[in-house]
Amino acid sequence: MNKVILVIALLTRLSTPAYADLFDLEFSGTWEQELAIASNEGEAQKFESLVEPEWNFNFDNGLELTAIGRLRLDLIGDLGPDQSRPDNYSSINGPWAQSAHGEVSLREFYLDAEWFGSFWRIGKQQVVWGQADGLKVLDVINPQSFREFILDDFDDSRIPLWMLNVEVPVGEDDTLQFLWLPDTTYHELAEFGTPYQITSPRLIPHAPEGVPVNLSIPDKPDSFLADSDFGLRYSSFRGGWDITVNYLYHYADFPVLYQHLGTGGISIQPEYERSHLIGGTLSNAFGDFTLRAEVGYSTDTFHIARDLTGRGISNNPEFASVLGLDWQGLSDTFVSVQWFQSYLFDYDPSTVRDRTENTLSFLVQRYFTSETWKLELLVLQSLNDHDGLIRPKLTYSMLSNLDIWVSADIFHGNEDGLFGQFDHADRVSAGFRLGF
Amino acid sequence: MIDRRGKERVRETIGYRKYFGDEKRTVLFYLEPANVKDTAFLTYDYRDPSVDDDQWLYLPALRKVRRISASDRGDYFLGTDFTYEDIKKEGKIEPSDFHFKTLQEELIGDAKTLLVEATPQSDAIARELGYGKTQFWVDTVSWVIIKAEYWDIKGKHLKTLKANDIRQVDGIWTRHGLTIDNHKTGHKTIFTFSEVDYRTDVKDSVFTKRALSKGR
Repeated sequence: MNKVILVIALLTRLSTPAYADLFDLEFSGTWEQELAIASNEGEAQKFESLVEPEWNFNFDNGLELTAIGRLRLDLIGDLGPDQSRPDNYSSINGPWAQSAHGEVSLREFYLDAEWFGSFWRIGKQQVVWGQADGLKVLDVINPQSFREFILDDFDDSRIPLWMLNVEVPVGEDDTLQFLWLPDTTYHELAEFGTPYQITSPRLIPHAPEGVPVNLSIPDKPDSFLADSDFGLRYSSFRGGWDITVNYLYHYADFPVLYQHLGTGGISIQPEYERSHLIGGTLSNAFGDFTLRAEVGYSTDTFHIARDLTGRGISNNPEFASVLGLDWQGLSDTFVSVQWFQSYLFDYDPSTVRDRTENTLSFLVQRYFTSETWKLELLVLQSLNDHDGLIRPKLTYSMLSNLDIWVSADIFHGNEDGLFGQFDHADRVSAGFRLGF
Repeated sequence: MIDRRGKERVRETIGYRKYFGDEKRTVLFYLEPANVKDTAFLTYDYRDPSVDDDQWLYLPALRKVRRISASDRGDYFLGTDFTYEDIKKEGKIEPSDFHFKTLQEELIGDAKTLLVEATPQSDAIARELGYGKTQFWVDTVSWVIIKAEYWDIKGKHLKTLKANDIRQVDGIWTRHGLTIDNHKTGHKTIFTFSEVDYRTDVKDSVFTKRALSKGR
């Protein structure tokens, strides 16, 4: 907590006029307050205040420093985590203070500079690749917090990483991006006993009844250089098409849960494994339609198997794609359909998930009265497990800087499925977001 | 933006425009309030009117630059009472869209104006723009439109535009205030332009998707 006080004191002092000759300081922020009621018990799941102040220091020499903090307070605390420092964080990342009832952290902190004709962003940040909404193929640079599964906004649940991000203009419209990520922070999964703890056998092994299970501490990569991730993206604009070609050498952010059957039961050893991801995106507009496509080939993906050969894990190359079509043919209306597909090469029949998996998404947004009201419906549906998620939301722009909303998150289907596992965790929410 | 009950929503933006040969590129960054800050909009406007513009929208909540359709020129621009076409043309009229007829000379305040009526060249263009007819008053000194009336495709009175604080900046007549009343919805939008500058060179890199996502 001392670090928090020090930084706040420093930022407060820096904002005094004595420093005005060195830089311009802009301060802004948001306060988001949300109440979520679990529909099965009728009890509050969270009553959360999320305050994110942002400081922008604009220096005369063109440098710009951005600092974004986060203060989260939750009066209910059902979503966890109880751990003050979950295992997924590297030694250079993670919240300054955390409990089930709150968090204080430096959310983002980066320097923007234009050096050698290139654009540099150095520090703790988020980088988003890909064209798909909600379904991820290439958007795997930053890990994510799954405290609320995928119900939290990705911008809030994505975990910023310390990295070097350089974008080099090539010609008039092309850009080459280089990423170096020495930060070995990975996904934060919901803790056991919280509403969104993962139970699907597709994602975690299930031991036969009566067999004890011992879960070991994750074996995490921790070498600053050798365990870094590297990424390259070439972006182009040709004949009306937005095109990117992407490459990422990275650790997958989900731990691989290796299993070993011993005399004392099943031991599970979580480890992190590397993969090469090669992919690309395309998008173009045709009249009222916008076509979006995203593909990715991963050399190594790891899946739970039904037997313990290969330590209970099947390692497969995967081809994944998203094809999306947006329609804006009606005023104040946006309709988007996406088809997500994943195919495993060298498929082992003992693998719990299917060789080919298909998921559809449907989004409709309709604005009313000069975009004061927004009605939205998002539907995600797995064609394999026949489970899904339905998310209606109504937002009212009450003031220039104040939006209020009510929403629902309704899971349904097979309890072994990705969405159906949370069939018991439906909820309704209401909240507001205030800009200051 | 003011609704029929007088409730106001205020937005502050900064915009840049530059010609790349015949192609006009425009970028708009939202500065305030904080809950829409960093939203940004980029347009490549091609000289050939038969070629659709290319448009991108950066939504900070998604952290993604989204390609958007540019075909609905008559859609209202981000909650204002100006259409995408109004914003793009910046007070000018696309000659290939309309038939024009000069009706009469009129005095508006002290300004001597020509009242011109424009009707879309086809029903398809009328539907696209959302206007069945428009009349505009052109100041005979500055040759800018200082007032305009719009009717929808069913002939109902739709909107009234009034310009004010018209003065020269770097030798170019510039409207610093625009007020548009939407008679159909009772909604009103007021644009106030400040720090208008036609001389300062703007870097090409500002008109890119990279700049859109980084806010500069």
